[in-house]
Amino acid sequence: MSAEVEELLKRFQALKNVIGIVVVDNDGIPIKTTLEYNLTLHYVALMQTLREKARQVVQDLDATNEFTFLRLRTLLHEVMLCPQDDYFIMVLQNPCD
Amino acid sequence: MSAEIEELLKRYQNYPNVVGIIVLDPFAIPIKTTMDYTLTVHYAALISTLTFKAAKMVTNLDSSNELVNLRMRTLNHEVIVVPSESYIIIVIQKPGT
Repeated sequence: MSAEVEELLKRFQALKNVIGIVVVDNDGIPIKTTLEYNLTLHYVALMQTLREKARQVVQDLDATNEFTFLRLRTLLHEVMLCPQDDYFIMVLQNPCD
Repeated sequence: MSAEIEELLKRYQNYPNVVGIIVLDPFAIPIKTTMDYTLTVHYAALISTLTFKAAKMVTNLDSSNELVNLRMRTLNHEVIVVPSESYIIIVIQKPGT
């Protein structure tokens, strides 16, 4: 799994506009990050809750459906959240205007 | 404000992939919808709580930042939510061409 994670990180980091990438395992521990540590922890704590909430919302609406991706556009950035079986990836980028 | 909402609804409803549109007031009460009422109320309750949580999270991370747009992709649909001061718009669409 570690080689897979490294490869993903490298691929995304090469894209221009990407501010940071955080890969979090199922226990909410950031296993890879390109952001500063305190900021990473802050993001992980909030994203973990949001991811769980989104999953519940989708399951509640339709039990056969599954949440696959979440994209939050804010004034300053764009946060993309992609949950997987063993981990979830969060990418923070400057959206192009 | 009502004419504005009608115009928006008409515009979005014309897109072929749109399954439904729900317009909520700031208290998450549906004021306009193109879907059946029970489903609308179900979506309104769940999606609005998710949106409020996401919006709170964004300002928690950076008080100068604000949530502009939330886009959630699931296996079967894509839900796009735009919160604003006077209303919340939820559009459910089938993603893809």
